[in-house]
Amino acid sequence: MTAIRLSLRLGRWGLLGFSILTFAASLIQAIGFYQIAGHTAASRAAFAQSMSQLASQLTFILPPPAGLDTVGGYVEWRSFGGLAILFAVWGLVSGSGAARGDEERGLVEAVLATGLTRSRWLASRVIAYALAVFVGALAGGLGLIAGVAGGHGSINPVPVVEICVALAALGLSCYSLTVLIAQVVGARVATAAAGVVLLALFLVNRLSQTFTWLAAWRWISPFHYYELNQPLAPGGAFDGRATLTMLGIAMVGAAVAAAAFEWRDLGAPLVRWPSRQRPAGYEASHSPLWRIPVVRGLYERRAGLATWAVALAALGVLFVYLTKTLLQPLLSIPTLSQFFGANAGGQLFTTFLGYVWLTFAQLLFAAFAITQVARWSAEDSDGRLELILSTPRSRASVVVERAIALALGAALVAAASGVAVAVAANYQAMEVSRERLAEGTLLLVPFALVFAAAGAVLAAWNPRAAVGLLGGLAFASYLVDELGPLFRWPAWIQDLSAFKLFGTPLSNGVDRGGLAIMVVIILVGFGASILLIERRDVGA
Amino acid sequence: MKFEVAQLHCAYMLREMAVPAIRTSKLSKAYGAGRGLFDLDLEVTPREVFGYLGPNGAGKTTTIRLLMGMIKPSSGGAYVFGLDCKRDYVEVKRRVGYLPGDMPQFGSLRGKDVVAYLGGMRGGADPNVVHGIAERFDLDLNRRFREYSSGNKRKLGILLAFMHKPDLLILDEPTNGLDPLNQQEFYELLREAREGGASVFLSSHVLSEVEHICDTVGILRAGKLVRVARLDDLRAAGETSLEEIFLSYYSDTDHHQKALPE
Repeated sequence: MTAIRLSLRLGRWGLLGFSILTFAASLIQAIGFYQIAGHTAASRAAFAQSMSQLASQLTFILPPPAGLDTVGGYVEWRSFGGLAILFAVWGLVSGSGAARGDEERGLVEAVLATGLTRSRWLASRVIAYALAVFVGALAGGLGLIAGVAGGHGSINPVPVVEICVALAALGLSCYSLTVLIAQVVGARVATAAAGVVLLALFLVNRLSQTFTWLAAWRWISPFHYYELNQPLAPGGAFDGRATLTMLGIAMVGAAVAAAAFEWRDLGAPLVRWPSRQRPAGYEASHSPLWRIPVVRGLYERRAGLATWAVALAALGVLFVYLTKTLLQPLLSIPTLSQFFGANAGGQLFTTFLGYVWLTFAQLLFAAFAITQVARWSAEDSDGRLELILSTPRSRASVVVERAIALALGAALVAAASGVAVAVAANYQAMEVSRERLAEGTLLLVPFALVFAAAGAVLAAWNPRAAVGLLGGLAFASYLVDELGPLFRWPAWIQDLSAFKLFGTPLSNGVDRGGLAIMVVIILVGFGASILLIERRDVGA
Repeated sequence: MKFEVAQLHCAYMLREMAVPAIRTSKLSKAYGAGRGLFDLDLEVTPREVFGYLGPNGAGKTTTIRLLMGMIKPSSGGAYVFGLDCKRDYVEVKRRVGYLPGDMPQFGSLRGKDVVAYLGGMRGGADPNVVHGIAERFDLDLNRRFREYSSGNKRKLGILLAFMHKPDLLILDEPTNGLDPLNQQEFYELLREAREGGASVFLSSHVLSEVEHICDTVGILRAGKLVRVARLDDLRAAGETSLEEIFLSYYSDTDHHQKALPE
């Protein structure tokens, strides 16, 4: 019981943060439904039709919708569909932290020294997470009920609890799979390896809607079993068997992970690759790259940058194929072809690709900036900044070097993805304006720098809180962009969103006003960061 | 011509000898609730090895961080070779080699990369010094930082502090984690640095170590410097051992007074 309490305590901030996010997501979508869809059957039918078109563009992220003219169907698709990704990320972060992060920090060693067995410790972590994830999922249900009450509607609470149970089962299965993978590989790559596996499972399920040959593999994905549950939509139902399958995946994953944990050495992976014997060396690296400012920063994180570049290039190619696969059948329908021709101004592929790819790329570039800010914060709190500042360098030069390195890193990743998209589009014989694609892709660099500038201010002010606050800022910025037009918020509020400032460069060209504001934010942010770090105690 | 150059060199040496390696004037850093460092007046002369003693939380690391310009003083000033540690902190660090109390994490970087990275920030490190120290300590620079034991991490920190032949070494508990053999190697290295003209300011808990390698000792209690003495003078005056002197400042009632927040 003490171990479970400790485990719950270790995950309390994750529980609080994800519960708030889940509650807010469902509440906003439920309120939004009543505000936008109205209360008449005709207005709701029109709303459902327009949302169906949007759903066709989001099939790579969200499951197919049902009953979009009802609040239950809409929230099930828009909120609980997206929450599946959020809960998978929660499971990933918590699972790798519990399995290897706490071990690296020495916490597991201290706990096991008290006499607790490894299996009991792992079981306590899984039970604590199961409780947390269920509370987090219930927060989503409460958000939905509150939103429905706010819209003067009513909803049966039983299906709400059912969808929450399914969501919690999905989160728990992702957690257990992560804990299992983290036993097998080294601590350094545990999160990345588990992330790749969960992403693959997600994509197998999602892309099987588009690429039929993948449908035969859908059964291996817990996301598939989650989507079999549609208790909120009219005519849908809670699939107890699918939910039990997810819980079964979680239990088997945890049991195998416990066995692997018993078997392996603490601090070492279950599978060890033979390492090459190197002769001892007593000399500093001869690479001249370590001496060049900015270049040394990029060289140091070359593996990470290469991973980002390859991943975004691969995703870019995937999105080109998706665009082609989704649009081609629609264009064969004469009425739709006319509709698209009139609305996309003859640049249908460019407009569609701009929407699906660049929207997704913006999220990834915001995440890229946040990971770099997390690194700056870690440098500060683990004493690395102190050692850097023990060399004859000013604090301002450290901030400037970080900013330039981040800009060049983002440019490298953007260039890799842009070239990959251009080549794939050419290969698919898609008419995409290369000039606009280049502009839109390069615009991702100042977009990332906007978040980096905000992160630099936060890291200079309070490094320990920087990542959490920046994540919240990015989420708020995304929400403002998503919900502002729906709720008809004032233009000045919508302009606060970095996503709004980015605009739609593929279809409408670069918004020079938005770019100018981004440049101002970047300069002011990094300038303020220099002033703050000059005045702050480092390492205190 | 040669005579003039020698004269100039001598004049420069004399001027350098006249300027203290470290001087603090009423240096204070208040953390609130009566904790911090207060009115520190300290002087370390060139080529002197100064041992800074005090229990945990007495203010040793705070003093070192103030000297390195990492934290700002509440009042007073600190000077290294006449340079203001707050205003001229970049210039100060050109002449200082620094070993922090805890080594930061460099993850999967190899030892040789860490040396090249921080050496590059200094504009380069002397390869002979790097090779010499690494070999003396048997520190394999081809291994990744995460594979190093705590002792090896400490050795790497020592290498980083000495690699550019600094005029002043500021070392926070330098032998923490080193085995006795490597401690002896470190003392030898310190002796050589001093013979090469360097000054040393080191904090330590190990009284025998301070007695063995230092010229002067300063004792800190609850953020205040309570005693500064040359060890030779103490010996000449037939005073009791450094351990007894140190303990005499920590009666039972004072023992739990601390300068820093936990």
